[in-house]
Amino acid sequence: MTRRLLPALLLAVSMWAQTPAPAPTTPPASPPAAAPVPLTDVDVKSIDAPKPELRAKGDPDGSLTGTVADVSVSDAKKGLTLADAINQIGQNKIAVNFVWTLITGYLVMFMQAGFAFLETGLCRSKNANHTMMMNLIVYAIGVFAYWLIGFSLQMGGVGGIANLGGTAPLAREFTINVFGKPFGLFGQNGLFLMSSGTYDVGVMVIFLFQMVFMDTALTIVTGVGAERWKFTAFVVSSFLMGCITYPIFANWAWGNGWLANLGANFGLGKGYCDWAGSGVIHAVGGITALALGIMLGPRIGKYTRDGKALAIPGHDIVIVLTGCFILAFGWFGFNPGSSLGASGSGNLRIGSIAVNTMLASSSGALAAMLYVWLRFGKPDASMSGNGLLAGLVAITGPSGFVNPVGAIIIGAIAGVLVCLSVSFVETVMKVDDPVGAISVHGTCGLWGVLAVGLFADGKSNYGGSWNSVNGSVTGLFYGDAGQLVAQLIGISALLGLVFVVSFGLNFLIDAVVGNRVCAKSELEGLDLPEIGVLGYPEFELKSPSPY
Amino acid sequence: MVVVGLLIMLAGFLLSLLSLTVASTVGARMALVLAGIAITLFGLIGVLNRAYLKNALWKR
Repeated sequence: MTRRLLPALLLAVSMWAQTPAPAPTTPPASPPAAAPVPLTDVDVKSIDAPKPELRAKGDPDGSLTGTVADVSVSDAKKGLTLADAINQIGQNKIAVNFVWTLITGYLVMFMQAGFAFLETGLCRSKNANHTMMMNLIVYAIGVFAYWLIGFSLQMGGVGGIANLGGTAPLAREFTINVFGKPFGLFGQNGLFLMSSGTYDVGVMVIFLFQMVFMDTALTIVTGVGAERWKFTAFVVSSFLMGCITYPIFANWAWGNGWLANLGANFGLGKGYCDWAGSGVIHAVGGITALALGIMLGPRIGKYTRDGKALAIPGHDIVIVLTGCFILAFGWFGFNPGSSLGASGSGNLRIGSIAVNTMLASSSGALAAMLYVWLRFGKPDASMSGNGLLAGLVAITGPSGFVNPVGAIIIGAIAGVLVCLSVSFVETVMKVDDPVGAISVHGTCGLWGVLAVGLFADGKSNYGGSWNSVNGSVTGLFYGDAGQLVAQLIGISALLGLVFVVSFGLNFLIDAVVGNRVCAKSELEGLDLPEIGVLGYPEFELKSPSPY
Repeated sequence: MVVVGLLIMLAGFLLSLLSLTVASTVGARMALVLAGIAITLFGLIGVLNRAYLKNALWKR
C-alpha cells in the first residue's frame, strides 16, 4: 500500500510544482511625477539640529557631528537661510581644494630634505657641510626671490583659477604681437604679494604651491655644482634663477604665456601641456645645471690627461637611497597636487595621477637596475635610485593626461634613458655631474615633455577644456599630431632660450665673483674654506684617491 | 666660439618659432621644429661644449 501511495504523492507534488505561475499582472500606472518643489528658507529652517542634551552625551558614531548646527549663519536674527546653506557648500568645495593644495605643497617642500640627502651622500665627506648648506640656503633664497618678483612674473597674469576660488587679482599679462597673435611673456600683478589686490587668500595658496615647485628647480642645480661651486656664486646664481629664468619659462607654460596658448592661437592641440612640470621644473633645472656644469669644468681628478673618466664615489649610499625615498614620497604632492584641488572640475582624477606616479617610479627603477645589471654585471645602487627618480621626473608632465600602461612605458624608457645619458654626459661631453642631475632632470624632463605629445589618451577632463581649448589633451598615439608639435616647440624653447639665458647669467657671475673655488680649497674639501665647519668634525677623513 | 655656439642655439629656436607662420600643415611644422632642435643641439654639443673642452682643466 505504502509502495503505491508514495509514487502517487510524488507525482502530485511534481504536478503542483509544474503548475504555471499566474501571469504577471501589469503594474498600475505610476502617478505622474510631481514637479520639483524649490527649496525655500522655510525648508532650511525646519531642519532640526541635534538636541543639546543628546550632544552632551558624546557622539561615538559621528552621527551628531557636522549637521545643520554647524552651518555658518550670516545674520543671527534671520537664522539659517537658503543662501547660507549654498554659500557653505561653495566654501566647503574651496576649503577642500585649499587644504589639498596646501598639504601637497608641504609634501613638495619636504623634498628639499630628499635632495639634500641625495646630493650630500653622492659627494665626498670633505664636502658634506658645503653641500647640505647649499640645499638649505637655496630654500631661503628661493622664497625671498619668488616673493620679491618671481611669483609676479610667473603668475601675475594667469587669470582666475577656479579651483581656488578665482584668484581674480592675478589678471595682468604683458603680451606682444607675434605673427599676428598675442604672445604672453610675463605677468605683472602680485609684486610682494601686496600689489593690485593680491593680498588674497586664494593667491596665498597658489603662491605657496608654486614657490615650493620653483625651489625644486633651484635645488637641481646645486647637485651639478657640488664639490667645486663657490658659495657666493651659488647664492647669486640661485637668486637670479628664482627671480628670472624659472618664472619666465613657467609663465609661458603655466601663467597664460605664449606656449600655453599655442593651441588657441595656432591650432596645435591644447597648447604646450606640462601637468606638474617635467619641462617647467625638471628640464629648466637640468638645463641650467648643464650650463653651469660646462662652465665650471670637472672636479680635479675626474678625468685623466687623455680624457678618460674616473669614478669619484660618494661617501654614504645609505643617505643617498634614503633621499630617493623621501623624494618619491614628496612626488605624491608634486603630481596629484598639481590639480590644485580635489573637488570639482574633474579633480577626482587625482587617484589616477597618484597611481601613474607610483607606476612610473617603479618601472624607472627596475629598468635602470636591469640595464646596469646586464651591462656591468651588478645592480648599481645609485643608478637604481636615479632610475626611480628618472621615472618620476618623466611622469611629472604626463601624469594628469595618460593611463597606467602609458605611465609604465614612460617610466621604463626614462630608466634606460638616464643610464645612457649619464654615460653620454660623462664620456662624450665630458661634463662632470656628481649626482647625475643633468640626466635625471634635464634629459628625462625633456622626455616627459615629449611623452605628453605621444601618450596623452584624451580621457582626462578638467572642466571640459585645457589652455582655453575645448576637449581633452590627446597625443600622437591617440590621434592628435598637433599636440606633439606643441610639445616639441616647448623643448626647443627650453634648449634654445632657457639654456642661453642661464648660461649668460652664470657667465656674468663668473666674471664678477668667479664660479669656481681655488684648487687648494677643492683638494682640501669645501667644508672649511667655504663654510668654516667640517660636516663630520670627529671623523678622520680619508680619501681613496690622492684627490 | 662660445658666443657662436650660443647664437646657433638661438637660431635653432627661432627656426622652431618660425614654423608657426611659414608652415600651415602639422607635418611641415613638425619637420621645421625638429630641424630647429637639431641645430640647437649642434650649437650646444658641437660648438659651445667643444670650445670649453679645448681648454679643459684635465688637459693641462
